[in-house]
Amino acid sequence: MKILEGQSNLVSNHEVYEHILEQQQKNRSKNRRVPPNQFTLTKDLLTYLRTKPGPLANQDKTHQYSTEALYELFKKLREANLQSDLSKGEMLMIINLRPTNVAVLSTVVEDMLERFTEDEQQKIIDIITETLGFDEPTEAAEGEENDEDAAPSIENS
Amino acid sequence: MFITTKIADLVQIAPEDFSKESFVAIEDNINAKYANKVVQKVGLFVCLWDVTWTSEGQIGHGSGLVNVNVEFEMVVFRPFKHEVILARITHQTEEGIYLGMDFFNDIFVPAAELPDNSEFDTTEKVWVWKEEGQELYFDNNEMVRFRVIGEEWHDQTPTGPVEVDQTANQLLPPYKITGSMKEGGLGCCLWWE
Repeated sequence: MKILEGQSNLVSNHEVYEHILEQQQKNRSKNRRVPPNQFTLTKDLLTYLRTKPGPLANQDKTHQYSTEALYELFKKLREANLQSDLSKGEMLMIINLRPTNVAVLSTVVEDMLERFTEDEQQKIIDIITETLGFDEPTEAAEGEENDEDAAPSIENS
Repeated sequence: MFITTKIADLVQIAPEDFSKESFVAIEDNINAKYANKVVQKVGLFVCLWDVTWTSEGQIGHGSGLVNVNVEFEMVVFRPFKHEVILARITHQTEEGIYLGMDFFNDIFVPAAELPDNSEFDTTEKVWVWKEEGQELYFDNNEMVRFRVIGEEWHDQTPTGPVEVDQTANQLLPPYKITGSMKEGGLGCCLWWE
């Protein structure tokens, strides 16, 4: 074994996710088994990527992430004429975490308060939610509450 | 969080795999060797990303193995320094909080890297962040955001036999990430919704 390049590229969670799903589909159609170590790891990795509040949690249903959506995100951020450019690492984290409020965005963007005005911060958030979508946190919570409410009523009846 | 790494390696296809298409046999061979393994200073290998080049297959003397030189790219889990990622709290001690990511569990946030005014509740065995009169609990199994601040590598290559009293040092994880949750926006995701 010889490592030619330790880090040839950065890949986003979404790319890895799509790659694994594609492989699985291909293997399933040929009725083929993968080595057990690969099976365990990819299964656990998919579980992780599908965990809320990760942005890929509802990807199978909503398909919010796509090449077009990411292209749109980059285009809109470029058109927004921000006073400072977002670095490659910051963009990668934005795509992987999809921050939907200023507090989370501040962790991803270094020295955010000095680099961007409040309007610009909000603008970045708006562009992210517009192009990559967002999961309603309240919706899920309400759904659970309703389920809890529903359970005793069945018992009563 | 993920990178691709370019590797050159000799792949040996055993005769029982001749029924597979050669590309599939190479793919399986590489995945069986690398997937879910840590290579020092590179990261945790996830799966094959792409095969970029292969040589002709050659059969050596004395065995039926087909030898192929392959250059390929692997998907590797290797978060960069200062990257913010999501993880789940697995357990907590007075020294800090242990996090896991389903496929990778050697993440540790030391007590000094927790938000200021955090205290360890010895009865409940959880950390509590006391902020503006509020008590925010780091509950187990809660999803948190943390920043990667350091990594440690421990080579697990077997060493020769040692004196009995020296074997006490336990096996350290091959790749360990140290995290921080000190800034605003980090810590339990629910706090920042």
